[in-house]
Amino acid sequence: MDIQLIKNEAVTTIRFIGRLDTPASADAAKAVEPALQDAAGTIVLDCSEMTYISSSGLRIFLTLRKAAAAAGGKVIVQHISPDIRQVFMITGFLNLFEIED
Amino acid sequence: MRLRDLLSINYYRQKAKAGLLVIVIAALTFEGITLVQFYFSRSSIREEAERRAQSELETTKLEIIDVIDQTETGLRNSLWLAQWALQRPDSIVAVSRRVVENNPVIAGSTLALVPDYDPAHPLFAPYVVRQGDSLVYKSLATEEYNYPRQEWFTKPLETGLSYWSEPYWDEGGGEILMTTFSLPVMDAKGRIAAILTADISLDWLTELVGEIEVYPKAFGILTSRSGQFMVCPEESLVMTSRMQDMKTSMDDTTSYGELSRAILSGEAGSRAIWQRGKKYYVYFAPVERTGWSMSIVIPNDEIYGTIRKVGGLIAFLQFLGVLLLLLILQFTFRNQLRMDRIAEKEQKMENDLRIASNIQMAMIPKASPAFMARHDLDIAAGIVPAREVGGDLYDFFVRDEKLFFCIGDVSGKGVPAALVMAMTRSQFRTLALRETSPARIVSAINDSMSEVNENNMFVTLFCGVLDLVTGHLLYCNAGHNAPLSFSRDIRFLDVLPNVAIGIVPGMEYQEQDTYLIYDDALFLYTDGITEAENINQDLFGEERLIEALRSRRRSEEQLNSVRKAINAFVGEAPQSDDKAMLFLHYLNPRLVLRNEISEISRLEPFIEAVLRGAGCNDATVMNLNLALEEVVTNVVLYAYPSGMEGTVSIEARQEDGVMSFIISDSGRPFDPTLVPDADTTLAAEDRAIGGLGIFLVRNLVDDLSYERKDDKNYLYLKKKI
Repeated sequence: MDIQLIKNEAVTTIRFIGRLDTPASADAAKAVEPALQDAAGTIVLDCSEMTYISSSGLRIFLTLRKAAAAAGGKVIVQHISPDIRQVFMITGFLNLFEIED
Repeated sequence: MRLRDLLSINYYRQKAKAGLLVIVIAALTFEGITLVQFYFSRSSIREEAERRAQSELETTKLEIIDVIDQTETGLRNSLWLAQWALQRPDSIVAVSRRVVENNPVIAGSTLALVPDYDPAHPLFAPYVVRQGDSLVYKSLATEEYNYPRQEWFTKPLETGLSYWSEPYWDEGGGEILMTTFSLPVMDAKGRIAAILTADISLDWLTELVGEIEVYPKAFGILTSRSGQFMVCPEESLVMTSRMQDMKTSMDDTTSYGELSRAILSGEAGSRAIWQRGKKYYVYFAPVERTGWSMSIVIPNDEIYGTIRKVGGLIAFLQFLGVLLLLLILQFTFRNQLRMDRIAEKEQKMENDLRIASNIQMAMIPKASPAFMARHDLDIAAGIVPAREVGGDLYDFFVRDEKLFFCIGDVSGKGVPAALVMAMTRSQFRTLALRETSPARIVSAINDSMSEVNENNMFVTLFCGVLDLVTGHLLYCNAGHNAPLSFSRDIRFLDVLPNVAIGIVPGMEYQEQDTYLIYDDALFLYTDGITEAENINQDLFGEERLIEALRSRRRSEEQLNSVRKAINAFVGEAPQSDDKAMLFLHYLNPRLVLRNEISEISRLEPFIEAVLRGAGCNDATVMNLNLALEEVVTNVVLYAYPSGMEGTVSIEARQEDGVMSFIISDSGRPFDPTLVPDADTTLAAEDRAIGGLGIFLVRNLVDDLSYERKDDKNYLYLKKKI
């Protein structure tokens, strides 16, 4: 799992590359921490290159979403694959996030 | 030994015999030719000897006759003077003086009157003899000499003819061999009145006859009318012996008797005589008028000496040649015999080697009947020695749910390599019975090999211990080529470049580890595989090997695929190196993970391998992956008290289009099926961070059940595929 965090004024873009499974999530959690400081702005989660996500990964997404909600910001999830979209659907995440293709 | 070789050895034996026959025939032919040649040369040489002897006889005789003629002529020319002097007794001396003076050949002369012819001088014989440059006169009419009784006087007187006397020693003139020619002198009345003589020295005869050199050892003999030796190389015989008296000293008296008879009868011819074991040819001819006989004696050896020498040399050379041929034949034959023996030895050795080969092959575990009962392992191995026995080895066996396996290559080929191979393999077996660390096994083999490694042989060895339950593979590589690892992709197993066994005593080998999961495979091989050469000496190489193994098949089929590929590549080229290979297919549908987060990474390849093997699509793979990760994560994080080591096992089964997974652990009792569903309708602010996992699992699988059994949690997870 590779995570790139790009901060552009009020928009923080986080690119997830690879599998966001349980072992990867511990590192991913740390990697996205800086974004929590800017939860008031817009956080874009670019999932175009994310191949897999498990509940640990979903938790990171939820954590970010909660922080944004608390700070008055918003989280946009971009380019999720159909398989991941199904996971989002099952878990009700489709309703929690603004999904962009 | 093949029949063809045996036949060919027989063939060579026959050839050797034929060779001997040819040599014998050649030798006999040689000898025959030489004998014929010798015979013809002999007769021609004898003819030549006879020709030379005759010509020498003729020449010598002519020289003698020349002197005889001079003497006779000289004396006859004085005959008229003698007749004239008969009337004048005072002139008689002058006649003799004139004879001597006018004829240098004549040494002395007398005109001896017939007794009582001249009454004034009843006995009258004045003698003139040359002494140096002067002439000496003496009378022969002495009482002690009594000339009328001398042969030279009586013979012509009796016959009225000229007469050559027997040779005699001239006592007065100083030991000179002399002969006297006498002529009767008639008076006017036709009566014999006196005898006119001429003495000639025969010293020149000795020289003349002695000079005869037809052959180096040939000699001339001159005999008188009575057989007296006049000239003879044995001087003691001259004038003391007669040739017919020599009969007793001859080996063959008959032929000698015949010879002397012929000579004494004045015949010409040749005879062979034997004296002291030696053969002589005597060529003889009479000297006319004198009654003498001239002979040339040639030793037989002399005549045939050259031919004998040459013949001897030829015979010797032929003998040498034949001997040489025989030696060559014997050498060839011996060589052949030795080759035969070597061939026999080789045959015996080959038999031994075949037995050794059988033993060696028996030592090596064949494919996997022993593991047929195991569904978690499919293993096959094969070995093709370049010769009857080889230095490549492999071995594998299961002890305590661990697969011990190795592959190795002993430096060199043939019997020495095979012995080291057998030793290495038995050490591997022995050590693997108590050790579980491949590094320790390899180190121990290395120690004992290095100790006794006088021949500087070494072994490259890859040794592995696979925990069949967990898939944990410990391996240690000692200079061997890296095995191919078949997992999601095909690559070479990462191996340390440890030194080969038998080189550095006390070397501590390092081991490495990896996990094999379901459907992973290893292909172990020796370099004889990749270095198999075709007739253009191209190597088979790794790419062709990988290509031959690309499809997943049963291990035995994989080996066959490699064999086929090599055979197709190599074609007619001979096998140059031993080849060994081992294909190990790990088919344990069970994954055991330790309770560590990082271990969860191993789950995905396992699920993927199992589900891909079952023909599942991407969505199913991901869903089950996700579901299993959730339950496994749950166990890893919560089943065991913090700090306690534990495991979680995931076992896959496929039945009637349903994939089931059994997730078991020995942790505290926990039934995830009882966890209430997370409320996914809540707003983000109200959603709990946890609880999502189980919810996902429930939604991703078709059936989920729990069981607590033997102090273990069993979670059964099913999904139609």
